[in-house]
Amino acid sequence: MTVALAVPDVLVARAQAGDEAALGALFRAFETPVYNLARRMLRNAEDAEDVLQETFLEVVKSIRDYRGEGYLWGWIRRIAATKALMRIRRDQVRATEPLNEEAGKPGMHVGANIDLERAFENLTATSRAVVWLHDVEGYTHEEIGELMGKSVSFSKSQLARAHARLRRMLGEGEGAHT
Amino acid sequence: MHCTMDDLLALRAGEASVWARRHVEDCAVCRAELDGLYQRVAQLKALPALRPPRDRWSVVRDAARVVRVRRRRTWSAWSLAAAAALAGVLLVPRFGSRGTLHAELSQAKEQSATLEDQLQRYDVDGRVLSGRTAARVAELEDRIAAIDGDLAGRSGVKAQAQDAELVKLWQQRVDLMRQLVNARAIRTRYVGL
Repeated sequence: MTVALAVPDVLVARAQAGDEAALGALFRAFETPVYNLARRMLRNAEDAEDVLQETFLEVVKSIRDYRGEGYLWGWIRRIAATKALMRIRRDQVRATEPLNEEAGKPGMHVGANIDLERAFENLTATSRAVVWLHDVEGYTHEEIGELMGKSVSFSKSQLARAHARLRRMLGEGEGAHT
Repeated sequence: MHCTMDDLLALRAGEASVWARRHVEDCAVCRAELDGLYQRVAQLKALPALRPPRDRWSVVRDAARVVRVRRRRTWSAWSLAAAAALAGVLLVPRFGSRGTLHAELSQAKEQSATLEDQLQRYDVDGRVLSGRTAARVAELEDRIAAIDGDLAGRSGVKAQAQDAELVKLWQQRVDLMRQLVNARAIRTRYVGL
């Protein structure tokens, strides 16, 4: 999903002044893209809902600091991505899941010829995050590395592994292109 | 030898090696792989938007009210501190005979300060889980802000009746502060801090 939302400057200014109706309008404009981003990056809907809430709580607190650099969606999206990545790191610490884990969910057979959405769901959280941020949201490897506290090569290798695994899960071929 | 996935991704990004660029021109298998990669990415971009199952606006709105009230309270607290200092200078020497009222006033102020300290322990800005609790907190903070405004406007009281009202206001403030501390403490326990 590509988002190209333009928000009138006057609406942002009203939100910065604490106008509740303006904040509500911003919430309605961005709730779906924020939730969609979080849901694609995270394993379950409840976590994505929490990220949606945390993101807008942050927006409410910090909108006065938004100076209009770049577009508003980019600013909000960065908050959401950071919140989602924090949640992924927390879950990895709790589950002792290695950050560069390649295996997906148990029970997913390689070459099962499933649809792309299901295959994507079966990537690890880290892989999903990298694929979504890079391929769909258009983040660079440098930006992803910065967001994740990792190197550019980490982001690149995660993306390559994820695509190799997607390709295998989709039954698009075996062997050479890994 | 065929292109690796790293090579294909580099080709897509326009950062591939000379070898990979030449190879993909000659190799139908790798060209097909590259096409497949482009298609996968296009399909990912075309996935339908997932919409939140529940409306979270009420929680965010309540939190926004808390933020607004807190900002107002911060301003009010500064005004109140200044007013209290002024009242101390004006009142204590003149009305030293009204010992009971002054003792009650001091006690209420001390209790209020202690409760303010307790509130500092509960940082709840990013942890609003219940809309009802957030609304309760917002309501309490609104009422405290109203009392603060009233107190700030009474800095120059002189009559005994007004002095008694001052004590009453401070005691009301203490009572509301207690409720606020309880609301936040319960919420903090709820989120497991």
